[in-house]
Formats: sequence, structure tokens, C-alpha cells
Amino acid sequence: MKQFLLIFLLASWTAPVVTAQTSQNTAPPAGLPPNKAQYTVSGYIKDAANGEGLIGVSVFVKETGSGVTTNAYGFYALTLPAGTYNLVFSYVGFAKQNRTVDLTGQNQNLNMELQQEGRDLQEVTVSTKREDDNVKNIEMSVNRVEMKTIQKIPALLGEVDVIRSIQLLPGVSTVGEGATGFNVRGGNIDQNLVLLDEAPVYNSSHLFGFFSVFNPDAVKDVKLVKGGIPALYGGRISSILDVRMKEGNSKRTTVSGGIGAIFSRLTVEQPLFRGKGSFIIAGRRSYADVLAKPFLKGDLKGSRFFFYDLTAKANYRINDKNTIYASGYLGRDVFGADFGFNWGNTTTSLRWNHVFSNKLFLNTTAFYSNYDYLLDSDLKRKEAKDYFRWKSRIINYSIKPDFTLFLKNNTLTFGGQAIVYDFQPGKATAASNGEVRSFGLESKYALESALYVGNEQQVSRRIQLQYGLRYSLYSFLGPGEAYTFQSNVPAGQRRFPVATRDYDRYENIETYGNWEPRFSAKYELSDLSSLKLSYNRLAQYIHLVSNTTASTPLDVWTPSTNNIRPQIADQLAGGYFRNFGRTGTEFEASVEVYYKWLQNQIDYIDGADLLLNKYLEGDLLNGKGRAYGAEFFLKKNKGDLTGWLSYTLAKTERLVDGVNNNRWFPTRFDKRHTINAVALYDLNTKWSFSATFALSSGTPGTFPTNGYIFQGYLVPHNAENSRNNYRIPPYHRLDLSATLQNPKKPGRRWESNWVFSVYNAYARKNPFSVFFRQAEDKRTVTMNGEQVQIPVAEAVRYSVFASIIPSVTYNFKF
Amino acid sequence: MKNIQIFGFSLIHLLLLAGLVLTLAACEDPIDINLKTGPSQLAVDAWLTNEPGTQTIRLSRTTGYFDAAQPPAATGATVVVSDDKGKTYEFVDLKNDGNYVWTPKAGEVFGQIGRKYGLGIRYEGQEYYAVSEMRRVPAIDSVVFREEKVNPLSDETGYLGEFYATDLPNQTDYYWIRTYRNNKRLDKTTNIVVSLDGSFNGSANTDGLLFIQPIRTSINPDSLYKMNDRVRIEVLSITEDAFFFFQQLSGQINNGGLFASPPSNVPTNVLNRNSGGPKAVGYFGVSAVGSKSVTVEKANLREDD
Repeated sequence: MKQFLLIFLLASWTAPVVTAQTSQNTAPPAGLPPNKAQYTVSGYIKDAANGEGLIGVSVFVKETGSGVTTNAYGFYALTLPAGTYNLVFSYVGFAKQNRTVDLTGQNQNLNMELQQEGRDLQEVTVSTKREDDNVKNIEMSVNRVEMKTIQKIPALLGEVDVIRSIQLLPGVSTVGEGATGFNVRGGNIDQNLVLLDEAPVYNSSHLFGFFSVFNPDAVKDVKLVKGGIPALYGGRISSILDVRMKEGNSKRTTVSGGIGAIFSRLTVEQPLFRGKGSFIIAGRRSYADVLAKPFLKGDLKGSRFFFYDLTAKANYRINDKNTIYASGYLGRDVFGADFGFNWGNTTTSLRWNHVFSNKLFLNTTAFYSNYDYLLDSDLKRKEAKDYFRWKSRIINYSIKPDFTLFLKNNTLTFGGQAIVYDFQPGKATAASNGEVRSFGLESKYALESALYVGNEQQVSRRIQLQYGLRYSLYSFLGPGEAYTFQSNVPAGQRRFPVATRDYDRYENIETYGNWEPRFSAKYELSDLSSLKLSYNRLAQYIHLVSNTTASTPLDVWTPSTNNIRPQIADQLAGGYFRNFGRTGTEFEASVEVYYKWLQNQIDYIDGADLLLNKYLEGDLLNGKGRAYGAEFFLKKNKGDLTGWLSYTLAKTERLVDGVNNNRWFPTRFDKRHTINAVALYDLNTKWSFSATFALSSGTPGTFPTNGYIFQGYLVPHNAENSRNNYRIPPYHRLDLSATLQNPKKPGRRWESNWVFSVYNAYARKNPFSVFFRQAEDKRTVTMNGEQVQIPVAEAVRYSVFASIIPSVTYNFKF
Repeated sequence: MKNIQIFGFSLIHLLLLAGLVLTLAACEDPIDINLKTGPSQLAVDAWLTNEPGTQTIRLSRTTGYFDAAQPPAATGATVVVSDDKGKTYEFVDLKNDGNYVWTPKAGEVFGQIGRKYGLGIRYEGQEYYAVSEMRRVPAIDSVVFREEKVNPLSDETGYLGEFYATDLPNQTDYYWIRTYRNNKRLDKTTNIVVSLDGSFNGSANTDGLLFIQPIRTSINPDSLYKMNDRVRIEVLSITEDAFFFFQQLSGQINNGGLFASPPSNVPTNVLNRNSGGPKAVGYFGVSAVGSKSVTVEKANLREDD
């Protein structure tokens, strides 16, 4: 329990910092009247149409030229010297509103509802939320994509997909289509913290990587943070994907849904307690099996292959100061006939927003997250005497209070988090001829906690700083065994255990602590351009053990142990941001460069045994990584034609003792050039069109230089013993889509549209990988007068999609 | 990913089956690729057993990957195997084609269970060596067949073979299972089957148990057997090192698709005495064999249960 003590020590340490900064920052900035009484105006900003809280609304004070944006719950607070002020509330796609607020004698509470403007449903906005966010917001390396935009992007089989859409952003890549997860600026897929209403999702995919687990009908906001990560976040080292669910319409009941090629969807939103609360419940299920059922006979009759997810959320505003939210997600992929295989995530989060005073906002989140899979050789229990069953899971529980203190020119955030992990890497039961033996691995436990404090400071009109510090503390705990491995083994070879020690419940096996400094700065060159700089250090204590090109649902998360050290990343990024065109914000452009150093990256010995291996740690290697690159981004926000164009130049390498002759090698997802283009065009109120084009360098692969015959098998051999020595051909793909909005009948609420889309429009056989094998059929040759059969060597291009994939989707809402 | 087999399906196949809906669109096609050829090395293919008859060690040289099916023979080598009791076996390249053969005298059989064996090769001024051990092996009790559909979608049926053998108790044993159909070895890359105590590599303690079900039926060709086929099953004892060697060999020659693991060289136990000298590839192993030959006929059929 040493770590609780440390946390308390830390807590007592952060307190003086808070006061120190408060006092320091109350000094008036140059150009403002001398210090006098200060008052705060605060409140919630919502969408007038459905009562959803709006994230990132700009609240601008005409008199001082300063402003804030609403937080993830739609809350804002502004502290100003006594006086009367004109506030401007603005948000892309919504009508601007002006309010005069009297702060001469007291704090004010000002809740607002904003009206959507323009052509309503046809309005396409690809913008960040505040019109001039690109230049004015201190955030860099951040991409927000509106659900409206994601819904317009042509999708695989017409299934609108959050994760596949963010893969069109600069700095985001994937090993290949169909691969689970995504890679951000040279990071592994396990280095992204994917949050659904603040609860982590461990496997963000259905059917490997083809569809993501987020139901687009229930998602409100998607934000990807690739760099300059604020102190609030921690636990993963490459990126934060913050997905926020809709709260549900608090004004009236709405039902929406659709039928696509893969999923049928239904969402219900309903006000609760006369508009003081609301809920949303959204479900999706693949239905190919339902259609196939009549055609399945005999052994296939019992076949099951489907995936589904259910997303639900409710909120209740107790009073002006307290709001509670409960969200849940449940998703599962099920496949099987006689054998069975299923996997899925469950998350639940409970949140309480509390406004202490106009200045101090608290959100406390408690969550539970679970990912598990089950493999069963005999679902129907046909053979009572012979079977094999295997289960694995990761569970965690967490509590996370986050405070925001709104001061004049400073927004202070502080809080902490504690996560309890329960890993069950694999439990199996095997029966042979009636004799049952269970085996597998013991559960592992860990506690991760963190405290942080951060501040966003408006130093002057042009200069803004964001700085903070996070301290994370991790303990690998008993009960369980911990192993010591041989230390004198040549690099790259299996290390065998030399000692085992048993630990009791809660006994500390290993502790790691990390200071994680965060810093960002923005300098506005003018109203239309700015320079930004950021540095962050992040630590990660859990790791996905995966040695395959695409991660499989069977891959197991492992905690840091006495043998596996936490991953650490340092990233330095700088950028130039500029807006231009009509009204100054028609176009936004940015150039960012980054360099990332990665420590304690996991790699694997040749022939590593990753599943059900008690001594897994002996098969792991420890390496370091580096990733650097430049990202160019141009976005058009307004007009009938919107969209973006991005180019990424990047390099990602790894250095591991015992791999590639101890020299740097490119990672499997290293892509030198990536170009993405997204165009959305509104022809009229009925028709709109969209197209995306993606082009990227081929990923590296390890190709043989030689070969030999062993026991009749053709064995590939790499005489240089190198890793990723070749590149597969480049990848490019064009997707198209058209949306037909059915005319709305006067006086009726029914709205509907048809979406026609074509994926891989020119049917390119994009290689996922190139591999080498002996062909199925052998060749007969004559050797020394004898007829002998010899294997035939071949190089094979493996394409996940080799043809055009058209689809039609129907959506409705009432 | 390691090619773990479960009930005749490898995990990879399980995963691919799971992705059936979309893998319909996936495709594999052969392409032309120019590969750089690395330096040529000595390749050793030496698997000796205690079966009666001659024993052969094949020596060749590695070549460019696409030419490797017809490798040049490594001729002019001196090849000797000796056991830990000092008995030596000379292997001679009779036809000068890289096949080095030991011919037994009348009644003589290679090897004895429990003994360690060393291989020595002198080739082009280099001395290579490798060691192995002939370990114990259980007998195969029986082989039975039952009529099953060739695959769930087909109306065609065939005969699914299942062999019964019991792991020897009180020690971890490793086996390589080979199958012959009408005197032809099932030699697809997916036909490499190895077993630990009659089960898979893992933490399961199956010591002394009947070989578990998926191993028992791991002896079938894709389209199952036909009536009157001659089927021979061999269980070969192998060392722990050889077990891991086969696992890696199988992993590397069945590696591809969505869930491929990074290709790496299959390990070798053949070492150059001069550690700075050219390295060899391949493997030297010795095995005792338990075998059973049966014919697919009424007497060996079992009803589906």
C-alpha cells in the first residue's frame, strides 16, 4: 500500500501549486484595467433542437477580446472584472447568439440553447467546432471529425464507421484494410487510448478490423489527439481517441434507424422527467445469418455468425449544479458451428457533473470495462468426453475525478485516476476420453493510479500556454507467481526461468512510477495564423501481446511486470496554422512536424509462443523506437464543396537486440508517403455526393533471399537475417457515394434517405501482404533417371478486397 | 501466429472461417517478384530412424528462393554419425548426388532408444556438427475410420481416420506424427503434426493420457480417405529442441494472410566448429518409430456416435 501513501504525498504537493498559480495568475495582463472585484458567468450550452450539450462552443467577450470554449459536457465559465459585457456564442452550423451580461455586482448563471442554421440536414461541416479553432485554439495535433461528416464519407458496404473515417486523417495509418485498430504517428495499435464516454475499449473492431464497434447513430463527437496531449489524459503513449455518445433528445421522442448491407440499426431517444433528463438506446446487428438460415442444411444448420452491439445512455439533471450520466456498451462477435468462437467488449460508465461554484467544475467518472473471448471446440456438447475450451479476458475498474477551475486568463485542471486491472490471460479445459484436465495461466492483478495538474494560461492576446504534470504510479500485485529469467542468453533467443516466487494477495511484486510533463504553446502571428509547439511524455503500463500483421481477437493484454517495463514516449511537435478565404475561415491549413522517441517497445523472439504460455516474458524482447514526420493538411469548411486534402511524410523504426542483426528496421506499419483526399459536395437539397481517395507507400515485409529443401518441404531462408527488407506495392483506392434525401412531407416528421456507395471503385487488388510459399501442387521432374516430385516456389499477393464493393443503405428518422 | 491445431482446424483457419463473409472478396494471386539472392550455404536434411533398412542424409546448397526446389547437391563431403557409446555409422554418397547413405549389414538396425547421437560433416574445409537423441516412443494401438462428409457443404463423404495411442507416463515426451496414404506421405505444408505428451504445447498436463482428440484425427488428407486405401501412421519420438524446430518450420511454411507473423529463419542445430565460418541450415534428428498400417475396410469402420 506504499502507493496510496505516495498518492497522498502527491496530493499534498499539488495543493500549494494550485494556490501558487492562482495568486500568480490573478495579476492583470497588460492593457487591462487594474485589479478590481471579479465575477464569473457560467452555464451549459445546448442544442435547441434536441437538448444535447454542445462541446467546444466558443464564448467570446467583445470588450476584452478573450474567450473560452465549452468542455465535454457543454459547460463554460468566464471570470471577468466587474462590468457589463457582450458575449457572443458561436458554433459551426449554428446561428450566432449575442447576450449582454451584467457582472457589476454578482456572478451570473447563463444557460444557452443554440439553433441550427442554414439548410439544416444538408449542412455539411467538416470544421473543428469553433470557426477559427485551427488558429486560435492552443490544441495542436488534434483532429475533430463531426459525425455529420463521418456519415457523409463513403463507407465500406455503406456502414458508417468512426475508425475507418479517422484513418483518412494525417498521421493515422493502418497495416492494411481489415486490420484491427489504427496506428498514430508510428505507434502500435495498443498505444491508442480508445475511450467511449471515458471508459476504455480494448478491441475497437467487429469482424477483425472491418467494422468498428461504435454505432454511428449513438455517437455525438469524435476527437483524436495525436500530440500535445494534456495532463488530463494518460495510460497510452500514442494517441487518445475520445468518443462521446449522444445524450438523447430531451425535447421529444425520436426514432431513427436504417438497413445496410451488414447491419440493421435502430435507435430510440426519449426525454425523461419532463425534459430534465433523457436517454438513448441504440442497437445494431449483422443479419447475414438470418438471411442464410433457410439455406443451411445438415451440419451447417447450427451455424452462427453474427455480431451485434448495444449502446445505451441516460442522463438526469438533478438541478443546476448536478447532472448524472450513465452509459453502457455491449458488443459481441459470435462465430461457430460445432466449434465456437466469440469475443466482445462491455463497458459501463457513471458520471457525475457537479458545479461547486461558478468557477469550479467537477466531473467524476467511475467505469468498468471488460474484453473477453471464448473458444470452444464443441458448442453443442456432442462429445462429452473430448473437448477443448479456452477463455481469456481483461477487466478493469476505475474512478476518475477531474476538476476544472475557471479563473481569469487561466483554466486550471486537476484530478486523478485509479484503475484496478484483472487480467485472465487464458484458462483452458481439455478433456480426452473423459479425463478432464484444466490448465492455463493464473490471473494477474495490477493497480495504476495517477495525479495530475494542468493549466491553460492566456499570457497575452497573442500568447497562450498550456502546461501540466502527471505522475503515474503502477503496481503489479499478487496473488501470483513472478519469475526471474536467465540473463546470459544471446539476444533474440528464448530465456528460460531460473527462479519463481509466490506472492500473496495485494503483495507488491513490482512498482513503476513516472513523471509525465506536458507543455504546449501558441503564438498568434495574426488573427489568421499562428505557430504552435508542444512536448509531452506519456507512460503506458499495459501491453497487447501480438506478433501478427493484423492483430487477432485472440491477442492477450498483459500488464507490466518485473520483466516487462512500462512503455514510455516523448514527443516533440511544432506547427504552423493558417486560415484564409471568404470570411477568413473558408479554408484552414496546417503544417506539423513531429519527432517521437519510444522506450521499452515489446518485440518477440523468432517462434515466440504467445498463447497460454506461462513463461511468455522469456519470449519477449525489449526495444526502442523512433518515429518522425511531417503532416500537411488543407481543409475547406464552407460552401457546397467541402472536404480536405492531407499529405503525410513519415518514418517509423525500431531497434531491438536480437532482431535484424541489432540494426534499426522499419516497423510493419511504416509508410513513407500517405495522401488522403476527401470531397463532399451538395448538389441541391436532394442530392449530395462524396468521394475519398487514399494513396500510400507499400508497407515493409520480410522476404527470403534463399531457400532449401528439408524433408520434402521448401523452406524460405533469409541469408542476411534481416527484418522488413522489402516493400510491398503501393496502396490506392477510390470510394464514391451518393445520398438521396427523400423530400419531407409537410407536417410530417418522417425523414429518410438512400445512400449508394461504391468501395474500391476501380477494383484495385491492393496488396495486404506479399508472402512466399510452396504451391499446393508439386512438379514432377526426372532426376538420375527417377521421376521425383518437387515443390514449386511462389510469391503470393494477398488482397483483402479484390473487387468493387457496391452497397445501398436506407436510413430513416421520425 | 503459431499454427495451433484444434480439432483439425488450425486457429488460423478458425479465424478465417469466422471472416467468411468478407474473405469471399479476398484473393490470393501469384505474382512475379525479383528477389536478391544471398550467399549459398550448406543445407542438411538428416532424419534417421530405427526402422529397418538404409538411412539417408541429404546434403545440398541453398540457392535463390525460386530455384530452391532443385538445389545443387553438396558432394565430396565426409559424413559420420556416432553414438555416445562410441559406435559409428558411415554415410557414403554412392551416386555422387548428395544423398549420403548408410547401408546396414544383415540384421543390423540403426540406433538404439536412450542413446545420444552426433553428426559430423567435413565439407569444403569446414567441420559441422549436430547432436540428437533417440527417445522412447509408444506403440499405436489401433486406427479406426468413420464415414463423414468431406466438408460441411458437400454431399460427398469419405472416411475420417482416428488413431489411438497412449502417451508414455512420468516424463515429457515429444512426437512427430507422419501419415502415408497408399505409400505416399501426406506432404502438404499443413501436414506437419507434432505433439507434446499427446497434446499441444501449453500448460496442459496430459502426461500418460490417451492422445487427445484433435491429435488423434490429425492424420487425414483434405478429402478424407476412400474405401480400400492403405493407411500407415507413424509416431516418431523427437527431442524438445526438434519439437520447437518443427513448430517453427510449420509456422514459417504456412505463414501468410491477415494474421501472418513476421517471417524469420527456421532454426538449425547444425553448427560450424569454427564459429566465424560459414553457417549451415537444416536439421539433424533421430527418432524411434511406433507405427501401424491398416486398410480402410468394414472391419475398421466405427459408427458415428
